[in-house]
Amino acid sequence: MGKAVRIIAQIGLLALFQVLGLRLAAVAHLPIPGNVLGLLLLFLALQSGLVQLKHIQEGADFLLRHLVFFFIPVAVDLMNWGGVFRQHGFRLALVIGVGSVLTFLVTGHASQWLQRRNQPCKS
Amino acid sequence: MQVLTTAFCLALTLGAYHLAKALNLRYRHPLLNVVLLGATFVIAALLALGIPYQAYVPGRSLMTALLGPATVGLAVPLFRNRDLLRRHAPAILAGVGLGTLTSVLSAGWLATFLALPHDIVLSLLPRSVTIPFAVEIVKLHGGSQALASAFVVATGTVGSVLGATLLTWTGVRDPVARGLALGTAAHGQGTAMAFQEGEEQGTMAGLALTLAGVTTTLLAPLLIRLLVPA
Repeated sequence: MGKAVRIIAQIGLLALFQVLGLRLAAVAHLPIPGNVLGLLLLFLALQSGLVQLKHIQEGADFLLRHLVFFFIPVAVDLMNWGGVFRQHGFRLALVIGVGSVLTFLVTGHASQWLQRRNQPCKS
Repeated sequence: MQVLTTAFCLALTLGAYHLAKALNLRYRHPLLNVVLLGATFVIAALLALGIPYQAYVPGRSLMTALLGPATVGLAVPLFRNRDLLRRHAPAILAGVGLGTLTSVLSAGWLATFLALPHDIVLSLLPRSVTIPFAVEIVKLHGGSQALASAFVVATGTVGSVLGATLLTWTGVRDPVARGLALGTAAHGQGTAMAFQEGEEQGTMAGLALTLAGVTTTLLAPLLIRLLVPA
């Protein structure tokens, strides 16, 4: 099988997990998106050996290498939202700035504290 | 005619992506963000050629169809690094868990306190997670996909400009902790900065990006009911 065919087939397998996730969310009435359930299902399938890395990794690596490309069409919608930034720009900057500082401090210090507690010999 | 327009929109977006990526690689500046730069090129071209937004929509649906499988694919790096996950489990769980809560709660409370409109508050909540998670969260719970994506990019830009310095100033030196903070607070953009610091920081940031996305998605129904009572 050529590399391109393999990548396409593996993307198909990834899409299958997404569909499984969507079906599971619908059947179980879970307020969780299908792609996130699909991610968890694929992790379990890899963990159990049902799916092996060689079945999926070329397709996954290809999509993840170009992940940013798929964000561009979503962001093009911003051409409809200019007014929001003109009207609320300062408050939005405040929320994002202050929130980011807090998130960095909490994550960094909480995990550093636990790292030091659990590996005292290393530091 | 429709087919031609859609094909043009695909080609335009691909071109914008490659141009934005080339500029980003050449200058390596966090403000030259590929999403923002690429979207700016596309919007400028649509406006200059007088193509209405509606004509872009069919192409947009085609391109974003692969976003779902790509998100599912994040399971692969997670599985590849499962030993690392196990070894640093306490720090990862606490860092990503508390960081995610801080991010969503601070955005919700601040935005409500500043009296921002309801749909903007909802779009701000998932600002720390990477775009496919944020988009799914607003699809399920309300808000605008475009605004949520813009807030994600803004958060990533702030984080990649200030994050590493802030961590150094406040004494976070452990490479695992630095990676976790960059990935949890600033998703893919933070991960790129973490990889510039080193392999260990980058890998941890990549894991944190996925885990923060999953955690935020799972906690969203609860937190949204708490923060934005309908």
